[in-house]
Amino acid sequence: MLYTVGDFGKYKVNDMRSYALNCLFVDLNSRTASLENIPEDISFKFLGGRGIATYLLSMNPGLQANEPETPLIFSIGPLTGSHLPSSGRMNISSFSPLTGTITSSSVGGNLCIQMRRAGLDVIHITGRSRKRLVVSIRDNKVTFEETDLRDDVPLGEVFLKLRSRGAVAAVGRAAFHGCLFSSIMVDGTYAAGRGGLGLVMASKNLVALTVMGNKRLGVVDRRLEAVAAEDIQRLFDASPSIMGVSGIHRYGTACLVDLMASRRMMPTANFRKTFFEQYRAFSAHQISSSAKASHLGCYACPIRCKLKGEGGRELPEFETISHFGALNENSDLASIIEANHVCNDAGMDTITAASTIACLAEIRGEKYTGNVLVDMVRTMASGQGLGEILQLGSRRLAEDMGEPDASMSVKSMEIPAYDPRGAYGMALGYCTSTRGACHLRAYPISHEILRRPVATDRFSFQGKARIIKIAEDTNAAIDSIGACKFAFFGASMEEYAIGMKAVTGLEIEPQDLVRTGDRIFTLERYINCIRGFGKDHDCLPDRFFKEPGTSGPGLDIHPINKSLFEEALARYYNIRGCTKDGVPTMQRLKELELA
Amino acid sequence: MMETIEKYLGKLLAQGLVDSKGDALLFSMDDTIYSSSNEVPHLVQYLFSVLNVTSIIVARPSKLYLEVIRELKRVYPGRITPNDSESTTFIHDIPVLGAMDDNSVAAALKRRKGCIAPDGSIITTGAITLEQAFVTFSSICFALFVKYFSDVLNSSVGSARDEDRKCAYIEPSPTILSMMKPPGPIKRPAFIVPTSENEVMYTIVDTGKATVKSGLVDSFFGNISYTWDAYMYISQTAAALDELEGLIDKVALDGSSTNDITSSSEMGSHLKIHKMTMDRAILHGHPKFSVIMSMYGGDMKFGEKRYLEDIPIVCGRVGGGKKGLVHVLPSAMKESHSAIVYGHGTFASARDSFLDAFERMLNIEIKCFDMYRELVSI
Repeated sequence: MLYTVGDFGKYKVNDMRSYALNCLFVDLNSRTASLENIPEDISFKFLGGRGIATYLLSMNPGLQANEPETPLIFSIGPLTGSHLPSSGRMNISSFSPLTGTITSSSVGGNLCIQMRRAGLDVIHITGRSRKRLVVSIRDNKVTFEETDLRDDVPLGEVFLKLRSRGAVAAVGRAAFHGCLFSSIMVDGTYAAGRGGLGLVMASKNLVALTVMGNKRLGVVDRRLEAVAAEDIQRLFDASPSIMGVSGIHRYGTACLVDLMASRRMMPTANFRKTFFEQYRAFSAHQISSSAKASHLGCYACPIRCKLKGEGGRELPEFETISHFGALNENSDLASIIEANHVCNDAGMDTITAASTIACLAEIRGEKYTGNVLVDMVRTMASGQGLGEILQLGSRRLAEDMGEPDASMSVKSMEIPAYDPRGAYGMALGYCTSTRGACHLRAYPISHEILRRPVATDRFSFQGKARIIKIAEDTNAAIDSIGACKFAFFGASMEEYAIGMKAVTGLEIEPQDLVRTGDRIFTLERYINCIRGFGKDHDCLPDRFFKEPGTSGPGLDIHPINKSLFEEALARYYNIRGCTKDGVPTMQRLKELELA
Repeated sequence: MMETIEKYLGKLLAQGLVDSKGDALLFSMDDTIYSSSNEVPHLVQYLFSVLNVTSIIVARPSKLYLEVIRELKRVYPGRITPNDSESTTFIHDIPVLGAMDDNSVAAALKRRKGCIAPDGSIITTGAITLEQAFVTFSSICFALFVKYFSDVLNSSVGSARDEDRKCAYIEPSPTILSMMKPPGPIKRPAFIVPTSENEVMYTIVDTGKATVKSGLVDSFFGNISYTWDAYMYISQTAAALDELEGLIDKVALDGSSTNDITSSSEMGSHLKIHKMTMDRAILHGHPKFSVIMSMYGGDMKFGEKRYLEDIPIVCGRVGGGKKGLVHVLPSAMKESHSAIVYGHGTFASARDSFLDAFERMLNIEIKCFDMYRELVSI
């Protein structure tokens, strides 16, 4: 039933000469929408994507995830929709029901492109509808439509039903059953996975957002855009991990399976070991040959990192493979693929789902593999029986069962598939990340494992504090301009800054972008401090300081030296401009024009 | 930190990039600045405060490079754009500063990883490690060398061509030409034919060191592989040719493992060269005159091939991708077990021994050097 049709007025696509982002404010209480320009100085200071979302969330930093006033923000970057390689990304942001922190998730798919074509840089959604809604945006019209979609409808059907409306972001049954790590799925395949953004959307009674537009992106200098695109493509071609014989371009992120096993940093048995002997059962080669994989990719992306199998069913990414595999001591590839599918179809973060099951297995002294594992995932999505506690994530589960140390999480978010004992920059990055244990905020795997752009000693904290801080800033900028982090296994800010100049006409240098990233990351940290987070939360589970990993030939995996870790963390605070307790100082906030 | 600083100070000297240790200042920063000297100049402190970098090198390059810079600055004020493909890919262009004040240096380094100071010193930065600042320093020296000698060559062979190539007219500098030395070692390095996995590893490490020591190539430009049993053993990406201990990937020839995502960017070419030639030993480096002479004769497009006497020259990009070398190089290698990649470097292979591959690479460089001298009438 069509309820309200709101016309948010005529406007043109930002031609980028005046850098004022178009933000559509959608109020689900009143079912109205209004378009506003975010002032130019604010837009420039936060760029777009994750940056502008962080700014908008800082307006009311104390809100809880499930409050109607809490914004759910969809935001694209200035490069989104351009011809620059791997620039088809956007961010979805809010406050996390899982961690209590600010959270933001980079996601691909067609939604960001349709937002660009509809002329929208930001969609800012607040309020809570009395009844479940689908909000559809088509050019400059917003439609609020009540829906009778039931809780248990698979997301696949939702996407099928809505696909004629353009790009679709939707939440599934896990979110409506209260799963704290429910995701928002975009176009059926791409997940804004971590931190429970799906639950924020479901708490607003918003089932789906669809967007369709027909405008073209105004690019200031097409010739310069082509130059930047060519430079970036050259660097992709020169990167073994992107376009190499076994790179992401060929095998997706599954190409990391063999490497993590050989480096003895594949989390196994809930991180009690770091090597799984049967890892070849789910290696990239195995997946690719047995599942007859073909590729999917985001707009303007030559990497095409997503794989789908026969019948178009999506195949899991590295973290999912490793955690439904090694972390649960499961060598049954079919069940890994099925568990991934169940998560995507119900809308759940695969990393937290797999890690929560591994946590339960450790507490009970059992193993959940094959079909048992898949059934466990289904139970989790249902929120019924055991699923009621499983859907709260490993920290709450472990505490509830009286074994809090069994949760392998930081700030209540489960640790991804790079064991921190095998990469000390990663250990630090898990703790300083502003959304809980996240490998993508600093992504030191790039230099600690993939040797890009240079290698660093993975078993050393030397220099890592500054390296992590700079990487966090850089990645905040990447998330804010609409680029993909995989691109930076080859290219750098030098090339994307030229792309920014070409698309927006802004005289902005690579180091300016990194400084903007510093502003964004520091603001995120400051928001978290307001929400009660501090030094005590920037720590790994004790296991990593006490228990060794699984050593291999000529390779010993020791516990992390806690005092060296703490020294590195103290250096990090100093470099980040924080007090000894990890709170950004007023001086630092002023330097970054945040106060 | 200090050990790393000492290491790269030593490498700057050993590779002839600076004339004495006193000509170079190296700095690394975590929460404090570590320095190769007792002091940290105000400029460096300022740069660390405004740039998100972990390391800085400020050095007066050795006399040859300094002279090259002086000549190039004269004809390319403001910015020098390299013409070899490696530098085009990774450096793009090199800002030339008109003034040495804090803001001018910072402005240049906000945009690029390295720049040239008014006195000819080179300033480079590393976002992650000091090694990056060193590699950029070395790359800038290489790029400037190739640019200068290419421009001189183009200037010597006719003005019509200058316009086509949009390069400046440069008179050969007697000072620079007097410093030109024929390439290669007088004494050839000894290489063995390996008979076990251990010997393969040892031989690769040893060959890498010997090739750099010979002066034929710079340490950060090149890669090396040896195929033995069902595996190719190949240097990792971003590994220095003279420091390959522990940095060799064992890659299954049947493609059953993806461990090679840390291998050299040119692994695809190495695999295909081995398949087409059955040569076990493959060596790739960037001998300077081979690179310069590969560009003599005009621009090339992907897929084109020409010859410099009997040496095939092919055109393709670093690594994989649609225009990658992998599509054009192996067939040229089948012809003569060696080829130059346009504006990039030389590949040489041999059935069993790196010695033969090394000799091929060296002979090409000698031939190119001699041709160059003849063309510019030195």
